[in-house]
Amino acid sequence: MLNGLRHRTGRLPPEGSAAQRAHLLVAANPPLAGWRRAIRRHRWPLLFVSPFFVLFAIFNVYPILFSFWLSLHDWPGLGPMEMVGLANYAELGHDTIFWNSMLNSALIFLIYVPLMTFLAIVLASVLNAGFLKLQGLWRALIFLPNITSMVAAGYTFRLILDKDSGALNHALAIVHMSAIPWLDDAWWARVSLGLLMVWAWLGYNTVIMLAGLQTIPKELVEAAKVDGATVVQAFHRITVPLLRPVIVFSVTLSIIGTFSMFTEPYILTRGGPIRATQTPVMQIFSTTFTDLRFGYAAAESYIYLAIIVAITLIQFWIVSRSDPVR
Amino acid sequence: MATNELSESGAVYVPGWAKSELSRRELLGRMALLGLALPSASGLLAACGESASVPAAATPSKGTTGSLTIWGWKASLDALKLIDGDFQAAYPNVSFSYVARPPADTYRNIQLAIAAGSGAPDVSVIEDSHVSQYVQLGALADVTDWVKPYVSKIVPYKWTWIQKSGRYYAMPWDPGPVAVFYRRDVFQKAGVDPASIQTWEDFYQAARTIKDKTGSLMWQQSKARNDGRLLETLLWQQGTGYIDAKGNVVLDKDPKVLQTLEFIGRFWKDGLAADQESWTDPWYKAQADAGTATVVEAVWMGTFFKSFIAPNATGNWGVFRLPVWKSGGSRASNDGGSVLAIFDQSKQKEAAWAYVQFHMGRDQSQLDIYQKTDIFPSLKPTFQDPFFQQPDPYFGGEKVRSMFADIAGQIPSAGIYSKDYQQMSELLTAEIQKYALGQQSAQQALSSGAQLIRERTHRS
Repeated sequence: MLNGLRHRTGRLPPEGSAAQRAHLLVAANPPLAGWRRAIRRHRWPLLFVSPFFVLFAIFNVYPILFSFWLSLHDWPGLGPMEMVGLANYAELGHDTIFWNSMLNSALIFLIYVPLMTFLAIVLASVLNAGFLKLQGLWRALIFLPNITSMVAAGYTFRLILDKDSGALNHALAIVHMSAIPWLDDAWWARVSLGLLMVWAWLGYNTVIMLAGLQTIPKELVEAAKVDGATVVQAFHRITVPLLRPVIVFSVTLSIIGTFSMFTEPYILTRGGPIRATQTPVMQIFSTTFTDLRFGYAAAESYIYLAIIVAITLIQFWIVSRSDPVR
Repeated sequence: MATNELSESGAVYVPGWAKSELSRRELLGRMALLGLALPSASGLLAACGESASVPAAATPSKGTTGSLTIWGWKASLDALKLIDGDFQAAYPNVSFSYVARPPADTYRNIQLAIAAGSGAPDVSVIEDSHVSQYVQLGALADVTDWVKPYVSKIVPYKWTWIQKSGRYYAMPWDPGPVAVFYRRDVFQKAGVDPASIQTWEDFYQAARTIKDKTGSLMWQQSKARNDGRLLETLLWQQGTGYIDAKGNVVLDKDPKVLQTLEFIGRFWKDGLAADQESWTDPWYKAQADAGTATVVEAVWMGTFFKSFIAPNATGNWGVFRLPVWKSGGSRASNDGGSVLAIFDQSKQKEAAWAYVQFHMGRDQSQLDIYQKTDIFPSLKPTFQDPFFQQPDPYFGGEKVRSMFADIAGQIPSAGIYSKDYQQMSELLTAEIQKYALGQQSAQQALSSGAQLIRERTHRS
């Protein structure tokens, strides 16, 4: 749109016309008048899109800015706020419990995201293949866990994964394998959480991959096959590289999702054992509602946000550097 | 405010154990609401300062009017509802409605309402473990003039957390006197006479015998999912806890704490404790099937046995007093308990007090509640009622009621509950889990727990 405007004002309008007068006005008083003019000219579209921006300002921009203000204060939730400058951030620097929650998310990410991403690509390829009947049904089934209530799923997983009465350990016993302390060991609890995440989010990621696959022209794979490539080779050398931006997008979403996990560990493990599945958002929650340190929790939120933004930017940078398509 | 679905349908009230089903989206929504409502907070805060004093009359007149909102969890509200008929007759112009949520959700909603400056209920049930936080914040109404006549009538320890600078901020409800619930059938089979268990060492020896003779384990203590409640209860019995009377952390200084944690540890090491997480189905099941021989818990545990854990086990359970740590030591401890508090935000404090006084301060109300729910009174005059001398058929005809009344009167003061209780409990729990899993010694658990608590609650 901006390009269009610049293009239109770039050519001089005919002498004496209204457009020329407007143009001169813009030239004499460029930024402000240009904005005013643009606003007046687009007042109806702007009015129609304004509800979103108004709501966004109230429910997103304001709390975000307010949180920053809060992070510079000590406040127990009632009474006057005490300005403490950057003291909350300084304290966070050596808060082992908070950094431990960051580390937990990173570990959980490594446990399940590579597996989930791989499975999503494979499933999407199968769904995209021409030979499969009842495609809509399969897609719906794969997506179903994602729209299931996480609270219900979390409790179900708790039952299945219980070390004594859980179905999974009973099944292991049938094949003469020893019981696994799914929820009673720091590492296994992280694995269990990863399993729940794969179950819940595989369908979602498959749909993203599927959308990506459908943008890849079939001719490319067909041409490779004509040249003698096997199915695996074509997948590995053609499909995956072309799908790369979509994979990056999905992994980025998974990073954000893993660091902001709340309901899943809250129900499945309650952050335990020994805080091994405590995520940053759970930590922020507990700082707010258990410790009643609203200012400190706001500082935690800001650091958490900064780290996620940094990781995402690094990822985009890596991809843009080595994207074979560009 | 809307109640969330799960809290309405399923969740069982578990005293002190904050179970919650708040979804992230709901949480974020509420946080946003909080952010939105903040600008109005300062104005309301100023208004709160003016409304601090309350009329001196201890009993509101019959003509008192009001329309109250009362928060709590299902079990507590069901108990309060038993008195509603009589209350309506006494105060025809006071109407009220209840909002039931699990305890943890109740507290979160209270905190958001406090921070937002509006939206708090007139009255809420609050556990003793949590009430101190709100008292110290200044969120509750000063009810000193109203509750004064009750100070000498209620078991003294109940006033500990609801006082600040000599003023009172809530009305006590139930105490949590603790004893040992035991399976008569298991003890009989093992040939152990509960009367012979006088010290905790006796208790440990009995545990060995019972395991050898019957295969049942003595008690249930999860390792990886330990909640620290038993340790707290056993420390309370000895008049110690997280902090001393001055508020300084004593976990790593008082040798009793280390001895107690190591005592619990012996049950893990020697395979005498069942590894089941408290308040879960496997935990209930082991109690119902006699997989566990004892449950060291407060009087309200009886409600759960009778209502859903083992409703058909009449006569199988018995109760004996806590063994002592050294001869002549205390045999009383506390776990849980609650109060009714009126919020400072309430615009109808007089009507709210009428409700609180009628439900909490009237002997007959407290007796009615106890007879139907096992929620114990803390109002001492009620202990004189013949009901306390009657045998309880569920517990094999033992006179457990007078025993619990006796224990309630002897509960020592101990540094367990305070405004930082929640935080201290969470910090220590992770260290206990690490000890239970054999990844550190009891001493290390207590010193790193104490260290974290000192840092994060700014104590010495």
